[in-house]
Amino acid sequence: MSWQKQILRVNLSNGECTIEPLNMEWANQYLGQRGLGSKYLLEEMDPAADPLSAENKLIFATGPLTGTMASTGGRYSVITKGALTNAIACSNSGGKFGAELKAAGYDLLIIEGESDKPVYLHIEDDQVELCDADEVWGKTVWQTEALLKQKYLDPLMRFASIGQAGENLCRYACIVNDLHRAAGRSGVGAVMGAKKIKTIAVRGTIGVKSADPAKFFKIVNDVNARLTDRDEMSADGTLAMIDVTNRFGSLPTRNNRDIQFEGAEKLNPEAMQTPNANGHTNLVTNAACFGCTIGCGRICKIDPTHFSVKDKPQYHGASGGLEYETAYALGAAVGVDDIDAATYVGFLCNEYGMDPISLGSTIAAAMELFDIGAISEKETGGIKLEFGSAEALCTIAELTARGEGFGQDIGLGSKRLTEKYGHPELSMSVKGQEFAAYDGRSMQGMGLAYATSNRGACHLRADPYAHDFETTEIAGKAKIVKDTQDEVAFIDSSGLCSFPAGCGWSMDDYRQLVDAACEGEWDSERMLETGERIWNLERIFNQKAGFGRKDDTLPKRILEEPAPSGTAKGLVCRLDEMLPEYYQLRGWDDDGNPNAETRKRLGLD
Amino acid sequence: MQVTVKLFGALREFLPAGSGFNSCQLSIASNQVLGDLLSQLPIPAHKPYLVIINDEKINQQDYLSTNIQEQDEIVLLPPIKGG
Repeated sequence: MSWQKQILRVNLSNGECTIEPLNMEWANQYLGQRGLGSKYLLEEMDPAADPLSAENKLIFATGPLTGTMASTGGRYSVITKGALTNAIACSNSGGKFGAELKAAGYDLLIIEGESDKPVYLHIEDDQVELCDADEVWGKTVWQTEALLKQKYLDPLMRFASIGQAGENLCRYACIVNDLHRAAGRSGVGAVMGAKKIKTIAVRGTIGVKSADPAKFFKIVNDVNARLTDRDEMSADGTLAMIDVTNRFGSLPTRNNRDIQFEGAEKLNPEAMQTPNANGHTNLVTNAACFGCTIGCGRICKIDPTHFSVKDKPQYHGASGGLEYETAYALGAAVGVDDIDAATYVGFLCNEYGMDPISLGSTIAAAMELFDIGAISEKETGGIKLEFGSAEALCTIAELTARGEGFGQDIGLGSKRLTEKYGHPELSMSVKGQEFAAYDGRSMQGMGLAYATSNRGACHLRADPYAHDFETTEIAGKAKIVKDTQDEVAFIDSSGLCSFPAGCGWSMDDYRQLVDAACEGEWDSERMLETGERIWNLERIFNQKAGFGRKDDTLPKRILEEPAPSGTAKGLVCRLDEMLPEYYQLRGWDDDGNPNAETRKRLGLD
Repeated sequence: MQVTVKLFGALREFLPAGSGFNSCQLSIASNQVLGDLLSQLPIPAHKPYLVIINDEKINQQDYLSTNIQEQDEIVLLPPIKGG
């Protein structure tokens, strides 16, 4: 149990919606969510297909613990071939949508084909219909939710939607649920837009049952008590990291030209929680996703007198505020120290459906192009796209959200943008996906994690943090990255969030919850082997999509330009020394392909 | 002499009463070392943290041999993760 043991398949080309049994052999091998969705994707599509074609599939996947009473059990993932990367994409979100989809009776929702006109999917348990989307196509995420909640007279209906960015095929369009949670990375929203499906509206009343309820209740209580550091995360959210990386010297600033930002203390928890000169405080309260007992989310208000919103009362209310990654991307990366401007652009990302990390990093690349003269006001439409300009940040974000003017170029992502203007070295990305908020020179393990991440640069595919803050020596980092990649793959397949691991949980706490919720025995060996199997399956998908060792690399800036300041001043990322050891530990050949023994051991032939 | 000590993240709960959001001024004798300074802060032994002085990370084995200068800013960081 805890699996619903059925999937919903929706074919947009012929309009058929069918309920099928879940392949339990695969569920037992890949657990759920990221792992199980990736297995279905690899089995059902050609990895070489164009991500924006009808051949691509879009899979919404819950885990066995999604919708249960386990703390943070509200996660779901969107698995597809990424529009930004052309690699396997798995974008994870919280909020309440995933639990609602699970409660409606489905482990997976597989969307295939493409519609010839805009549609949306309406699910109420086993009642499923594709509906004409004329009334919401062209609307924002926020407008779409409001209109359809009113139409169905159901305030508890949950939505996962694209905004205009997804409709316009912005390469890093995301899928937004519950107004300000998002399956954010790799362009999953562009795939949804290409299929012309605006939103998934779901209401579930079936609920979720665990295999051994009494055992499960006890373990939920036991492990909840071990979230000893939850108060620290709820107080400052992930934004606490900005002071750590800034002081340490690993906060990417001005397109990684710098790794310490002189304006960081205008974006940090103190700035968020302290009244400004007008008496306005950015932070309103914290927020939690379904079943979460941590509450890291930020609910914030923009100062209504700020230039970005003074004539826009629709942005004067409270909504999802800055987290660490958005403060980096919409702050340090573009050299802007204006918390209201960054919060405003964050609101736009939620409203129009854009990944703020890729948006901010792409604007940063454009600012460097502007700085070196590769583009000018002629290309930008008169915008002085200078590092540090909050006005330019807000203006170009608005254009990108609407797909207008130079915003269309920003919507390409930094890789395509910098290639277009002749400077591909200025894209701070791996496999086409922009860096998260860590620099691979002062955090060598993170450099390796970025380079080897199956979905492109990502800070959540491994857990090298503690070792990276401890030392820049590379001994041991390949093993830490490999082992934690496997652990995170298991967590991402369970229906739980990875943040409890930073608040007191061990991997065994995750394992115990899965073991109690699911049939069969889930011991430590099976847990880690499952994670390893998932990682290798993703790798095989990418191999078939054309990726290989050549793509396990980092931008020249990180490999050749010494860190300009901070505790690691003078260092470059020693990726070439770590990568062979990493391949060896993985059981891969010199080209980064899983060898025959590895494939056989993991059941991947 | 007076030195500025900054405790970021959850470490700020260990600042003396009356401190700012995440910083305080501490008085130390001119011949005191980093270890003496840290002992003035009620941070439990099991709480890990990094110490950075003027962009240089100080390893734990050097706490008792690191001299403090009047202009130094001593920064304590919790080794958090995520983002």
